[in-house]
Amino acid sequence: MGPATVQTARRAPAVPRLAAGAAPAFAPRVNPHQNHLLDALPARDYERLAPHLELQTLKLGDVLYEPGRAMRYVHFPTTAIVSMLYVMEDGASAEIAIVGNEGILGISLFMGGESTPSRAVVQSAGYSYRMKAQLLKNEFGRYGTLMHLLLRYTQALITQMAQTAVCNRHHTVDQQLCRWLLLSLDRLASNQLTMTQELIANMLGVRREGVTEAAGKLQDAGLVEYRRGKITVLDRPRLQARSCECYEVVKKEFDRLLPYRPL
Amino acid sequence: MSIRSARSNRILKSIPPREYRRLSDQLVPVTLRFGQVLYEPGKAIRHVYFPIDCLVSLLTAVDRRRTLEVGMVGNEGMAGMPFILGVGVSGVRALVQGAGRALRMAAGPFRIEFDRNPALQQALYRYTYALMAQISQTAACNRFHETEARLARWLLMTSDRVGSQEFALTQEFLAHMLGLRRVGVTEAASALKSRNLIDYTRGKLRILDMPALKHAACSCYQIVNAVFTRAQRT
Repeated sequence: MGPATVQTARRAPAVPRLAAGAAPAFAPRVNPHQNHLLDALPARDYERLAPHLELQTLKLGDVLYEPGRAMRYVHFPTTAIVSMLYVMEDGASAEIAIVGNEGILGISLFMGGESTPSRAVVQSAGYSYRMKAQLLKNEFGRYGTLMHLLLRYTQALITQMAQTAVCNRHHTVDQQLCRWLLLSLDRLASNQLTMTQELIANMLGVRREGVTEAAGKLQDAGLVEYRRGKITVLDRPRLQARSCECYEVVKKEFDRLLPYRPL
Repeated sequence: MSIRSARSNRILKSIPPREYRRLSDQLVPVTLRFGQVLYEPGKAIRHVYFPIDCLVSLLTAVDRRRTLEVGMVGNEGMAGMPFILGVGVSGVRALVQGAGRALRMAAGPFRIEFDRNPALQQALYRYTYALMAQISQTAACNRFHETEARLARWLLMTSDRVGSQEFALTQEFLAHMLGLRRVGVTEAASALKSRNLIDYTRGKLRILDMPALKHAACSCYQIVNAVFTRAQRT
């Protein structure tokens, strides 16, 4: 590859779409190792999967999965953040779990479910790698490292879901917004999130007025700035202090189970 | 315990006879008491349990005392899920809600059996999926649904798993399960009573009108049922 390609790759945030199997001339800014699951694979396992990982640019609001539809791909986010939303019959939705560079979307696949009960929506734009579902199933069936990592990740996800349930029962909307902001920031490199009011409403399961109210409370307390769809966390320690314990519980569990230690 | 009754846990029933014989040597029939704690969060899982006619509640807690039942395990499942995910510690509290029989297996031997029994793996992964769906549903339910509808759903799910329309239940226990204050339980139960859906006196609850109670329950009841039914189809 010549200098032209190098120059293209350096111009952020435009990253060339890597064709499956293409090897970059140098370690690009975006690469699959930014996903911790993939990064934890032994070299040989990783090499086997690498040619099948397709880079995707995910935009805010993109829907990766609809409930009940067959999943053709699994996704390994690197800089994007995806919400798993539960959609009720009347169309109202609430976030069940958040998935970023620590995880994978599509675990239902290896648990015998061909579809997922939740909708997966991109909550923070960024990059992700997708792989054909069948390939993941094949890899899972090898009883190797990936299988063990996916099972541990599943446990972390279950904890997150259970905590969301109890949080939804006992805690206020602005506390839930805190929790979500903190979990998101853990998965991002910056302290700024670009959101739409609608996406936050869908995620919290409230109407738009509820979002204004919740975000307003945090802003009044000097914890965030919320302007023109961008939330910037101004005071992370105090935001953490304001959050209900649910953030800590989930974070502790994720820290305990992942980063993945060599098995 | 006869083979027939020993296999009335649906996961165990789905294992082919030859593999089941190997497994059954390690399964110990036990009787679990109401209120018995099988797992505490953070403590090691020493046994897994396959309920036959007992019922296990999975509970999380916040603010030290406020609890919520996030899942129920009856004879359609197994208690000790984290173990099959390679995590030896429970994240939730597992409490016996309905006394009865179960088959218990020590963690070590279970691990060995699980690793070499594809049928058991498949059945348990499918069950994990169904349990995750149940927990997700609970999360959404607690965001959107009214207390009465949640109570109706809980009663139906319990009834299905214990196989009876009548059970002993204190309001305090219900408050724990549903994450309510006692007064909330009293109000919701009174509402169901006034609609002649249940009778509830002196700690004994009886479902009077199943179809009507199903109608009163939130949609989560049917949805979770459907997930479990699909997961059980081999």
